[in-house]
Amino acid sequence: MRPHRRKDIRKENRDLMLMSLPAMVWYILFCYLPLFGVAFAFKRFTPVPGKSLFVNLFANSKWVGLDNFSFLIRSSQMPQIIFNTLFYNLIFLVTGIVLPVFLAIVLTEIHGKHVSGMVQMVTVLPYFLSWVIVGYCLYGFLATNEGQVNHMLRFFGEGAVQWYQSPKYWRVILILTEIWKTTGYSMVIYMCAITAVDRSLYESATLDGAGFWDKVRYVTIPQLHPTISTIFILSVGSILASDFGLFYQVPLDSNSLQPVTQTLDVYVYKALMQQANFSYSAAASFLQSTVGCILLICANTVVKKIDKDSGL
Amino acid sequence: MRKISVILNLILAGILLAGCSDAGSADSDECIKLRWVTYDAGSTPLDAKKVIEAANKVSAEKIGVTVDLEFQSTEKINLMMASGEYYDMVFTSSWVNMFDKNASAGLYYDITDLVQKETPALYGSVGKYWDCAKVDGRIYGVPILKDMGAEDMFRLNSDYFEGEKGMEIPERMSFADIEPYLAAYKEDFPDKYPLAMDKSGMAGYLNFLERIVTPIIVIPYDQEDEVKAIPFWECDELMERYRLLHKWYQAGYIHPDAATIESAATDKSYPVRTGVAWKGYRGYSNPADWGFNVKTSIYDGPYISRTSEQGAMAGICVACDEERAAACLKYLELLSTDREFRDILGYGIEGTHFEYLDNGTVYRLPAGADRYNTKLYQTGSVVNASVESVSRTFLSDPNQWEAVYEGYDENGIYSKAGGFSYDPSRKEDIITALQAIYSDYDAELRTGTSDPDKVVPEIRKRMEAAGIDEVLDDINSELKAFLADGGM
Repeated sequence: MRPHRRKDIRKENRDLMLMSLPAMVWYILFCYLPLFGVAFAFKRFTPVPGKSLFVNLFANSKWVGLDNFSFLIRSSQMPQIIFNTLFYNLIFLVTGIVLPVFLAIVLTEIHGKHVSGMVQMVTVLPYFLSWVIVGYCLYGFLATNEGQVNHMLRFFGEGAVQWYQSPKYWRVILILTEIWKTTGYSMVIYMCAITAVDRSLYESATLDGAGFWDKVRYVTIPQLHPTISTIFILSVGSILASDFGLFYQVPLDSNSLQPVTQTLDVYVYKALMQQANFSYSAAASFLQSTVGCILLICANTVVKKIDKDSGL
Repeated sequence: MRKISVILNLILAGILLAGCSDAGSADSDECIKLRWVTYDAGSTPLDAKKVIEAANKVSAEKIGVTVDLEFQSTEKINLMMASGEYYDMVFTSSWVNMFDKNASAGLYYDITDLVQKETPALYGSVGKYWDCAKVDGRIYGVPILKDMGAEDMFRLNSDYFEGEKGMEIPERMSFADIEPYLAAYKEDFPDKYPLAMDKSGMAGYLNFLERIVTPIIVIPYDQEDEVKAIPFWECDELMERYRLLHKWYQAGYIHPDAATIESAATDKSYPVRTGVAWKGYRGYSNPADWGFNVKTSIYDGPYISRTSEQGAMAGICVACDEERAAACLKYLELLSTDREFRDILGYGIEGTHFEYLDNGTVYRLPAGADRYNTKLYQTGSVVNASVESVSRTFLSDPNQWEAVYEGYDENGIYSKAGGFSYDPSRKEDIITALQAIYSDYDAELRTGTSDPDKVVPEIRKRMEAAGIDEVLDDINSELKAFLADGGM
């Protein structure tokens, strides 16, 4: 390649900057500008109607330090809630990487284009259903009287199960539902990464006598490494956040199931639904973001230690 | 957490925009236009705009005030209040947009003097019910006169129970008395569930308690010696009802998935439903609605307390100047004194949405039933509006309210707490935690799904750990001081 002249570089940069401008404006407007709202978490928000938000937040509201966080500690269930949040997120972290990678590898190796396309479509489709709809589809299977599963159990002479009152099954049900809904979508990302792998690597591997599994192990996985690390680091950042729809809508907010379905987001929603207290919600969200941010930085450092090129 | 940040962003954007726009100043020189936000009870009526226009024509001429009436959901109103948005008048009550909380927080205009000076007719019409709008002796809202006491009733398919089974449906029964009816139906139809039930439980199932912190800390109406706030598990009557419900659930009188069913309203086959209304109310009984004749039987009430009296109120924004506040009051006064004007916002445009029947009651025409089917309490005085008949032949008593109010005076079961209200803001963190704990159990408790003798001790243990005693002590010391002062 011919070395760029300085002017060319500047021009190229300008074009690229211009292209990314809308995204930057969006970030400034919706991510950086509202950052002052963090103040909500440390204020007792007492607005005077008709005044602007800034006056209400900074002049009319008192600083209360960490008081807004105390409702989180008040719940004796907090250890269980944190456990649930971490438990599901760690499992999703693993299944969210292993299964899509596996599926992506298998699908790219399948020669029949129709089969491959079909499988892709079927696995990606659930991603576009909303959790509310998924919740009711599941209810169609698990309803006590009219549910398909209980029909089948009765057919085989077993007693009907009151699914929505039996927490022991739900860890599995929730994990399966999440896998069913998201695997296809994440798979697409890995398929793209695999298509970008230089084909000549496979050819030379084949010449060296590598079988299918050898190619996966020595070519595909190492090539996917950066993508996997990036996705891993990003998911670690949201380890205290959980998919509200999965844990609230899918179990239909059933009381009996709460020991296994209550995560931090569900708790915050239930605690604050009737109160509309912005200070408390801001406190909860601030806590999640802070923990997430710290974990993200830690994960990034660890990943960098292990493999210099894979960090962010 | 995305949900919460989205809400926060919305508020921010909303406020930034609201800051720029003109905060609702007078439209023209002579007319004051008020922004009035009311509860939408589920949906905004389609013809709202037309109706409001018609009402504005009349009110502009009579008192020089017009309204920009908005129908909003509970969540939207809560958001509006919590973010400090400007409005002139807002729907407030003990169940939507909490009056006591907002009034204690200083969000409403103190109308104590203004209402007597500017609108003596309104002041006179509300009479003793002003007490429920007082906080520390000052009036912060206008109670809307409607059914002021809660009467809970069973609604039974009388064709079946009286006609086929030869059972008698009395005008009053106790809660437990419904059992033989449920049993009879279950025997005939083993695959059906006789008692209509969804996740919100029976209509008004807590009405027989005065609720200080809904629904966790209550004052029963029948406390003998000392009036005291107690946690719900100490109320024997409530626990007894939960046990009965659980028994019925196990007997198959209640749908096994009741605790997760969103609504049982559309299934009309249930022979026993519950409702909250008043003596003589006929809205539940139109055979054309159900396909069979319905008889109601009251099992509770009328219970009259601060909570029940605050069923619907109008609060005026503290940021209003005196002129606008007076305009709000004048508008409410017109709604409470001018029946013809009242019927416009209540029922729509005469001839299009409703017509007057010969006995003076109102019949909603199909256009009214489809396009402007509001509840009266949403738009002002219920008592001053004409009474609705559910069909041209199934007539209501046009003077039903007199009998209802007489009933309150004669048979009303009055709270002994004398209008006590509690400002939850000091203990908000504990109460928030308590609400979260309660919501882990509530749907299964009130539908009879769970066994109260197993679940309630668990709730109790968790609530005690969360500090409910601290809240109870606080409430009771305030209550004691309040009662020692002689109440209101």
